[in-house]
Amino acid sequence: MAANKLQLSIVTPERLVVNEDVDQVNVPGVEGDLGILYDHASILTTMRPGQLSYESDGEKGRETIHMVVSGGYLEVTDNRVIVLAETAEFLDQIDKERARTALAKAEEVLANTDLADDDFEEAQHKLFRAVARLENAEDN
Amino acid sequence: MANLKEIKRRIKSVKSTQQITKAMKLVSASKLRRAQEAIMSARPYALKMMEVLNHLSARCNKDLHPLLEEREGSRWLVVVITADRGLCGGFNGSIIRKAHQVIKENSDKEIQLITAGKKGHAIFKSRDNKILHDYSGWTRDFDYLKASEIGSTLANLYIEKAVDRVYVLYNEFKSVMQQEVILEQLLPIVPEDLGTGKGKKLAVDYVYEPDEETILDTLIERYMTVEVYRAFLESSASEHGARMTAMDSASRNAGDMIGSLSLTYNKARQAYITKELIEIVNGAEALKA
Repeated sequence: MAANKLQLSIVTPERLVVNEDVDQVNVPGVEGDLGILYDHASILTTMRPGQLSYESDGEKGRETIHMVVSGGYLEVTDNRVIVLAETAEFLDQIDKERARTALAKAEEVLANTDLADDDFEEAQHKLFRAVARLENAEDN
Repeated sequence: MANLKEIKRRIKSVKSTQQITKAMKLVSASKLRRAQEAIMSARPYALKMMEVLNHLSARCNKDLHPLLEEREGSRWLVVVITADRGLCGGFNGSIIRKAHQVIKENSDKEIQLITAGKKGHAIFKSRDNKILHDYSGWTRDFDYLKASEIGSTLANLYIEKAVDRVYVLYNEFKSVMQQEVILEQLLPIVPEDLGTGKGKKLAVDYVYEPDEETILDTLIERYMTVEVYRAFLESSASEHGARMTAMDSASRNAGDMIGSLSLTYNKARQAYITKELIEIVNGAEALKA
């Protein structure tokens, strides 16, 4: 491993998405965004749906790669960054149409006032996910 | 020779068997490819998840979550994952053998079973083992949702103190030709020993957001699902691998059999012709004389 690099692995239940050495990782934590650099303190946090990015010095100079994750966990220990995401997509992989339908569906469910707490939470989570996808897909 | 016909019939029957085994082999091969992809892509997540949970549970207090709490009880629950269908070599046999061995070796424990797969279910049902649940038929099209249902069922049984320990017994996919029977303790979750000095040092300056308990709670729930999911995928990939191997060798055996039968057939045919010729020649000789 090159000096002063973070070893980043992003995994989802479906596959191993990213496994490489990077310089910086920016993560949407539940309590605010985190920027993780070399020698970061050990941390374990949950993530909210949002944009994750990582930066590394490639052959073409500094590269920043953006992704959208929909919740999960982040662990940093000993300069190893593990992202356990429910889903993780590169921006160009996002299916906007699907996200829009999901958004509409979630809004519809939420419009119902007498929802059970669990259902409400689930719908809300879906809504956040769809919003995160759409926002990031559109500004690309 | 009367058995000429018989040999011919046997050749035909072996040939049709061979056709079936060949077809099954091809089907298994394509299913295997999919199952193999599924398990290969699910493994990294499961492993990382385990790593994270290990770090967390090794550091935090055991009272924080009921699934971490170790109990002295003797009621075990073993989840036995077999296949729904046979014709897959030693796949089901080795699991069942291992299950019996576990039951025998721990005769002082009260062991209950949860079966998944008709083959295992049939056997254990006939041998008065106590079966708590049966998830036969679930192995096909197994998905995350089913895994989460099984996972939470197991967790609830443990939390309600109906059982004191939960194991899962399944075939781990090593390669197409190789499966390994694995008995894994699912509950209580035992954090791996992280070694002394380093683990302790980490414990001090760990930051949690939002807080330990919340993370642990959701993480453990997901961990259960992921573990069940992985065990089922491992089993399914192994099953197809085992079936493909078994069908491959069956096809080859059928080929060998056809070969030796054809040889016998040809020999018999030649003997018959020779015999006939001799008779004709003898007849002609007799007339000449």
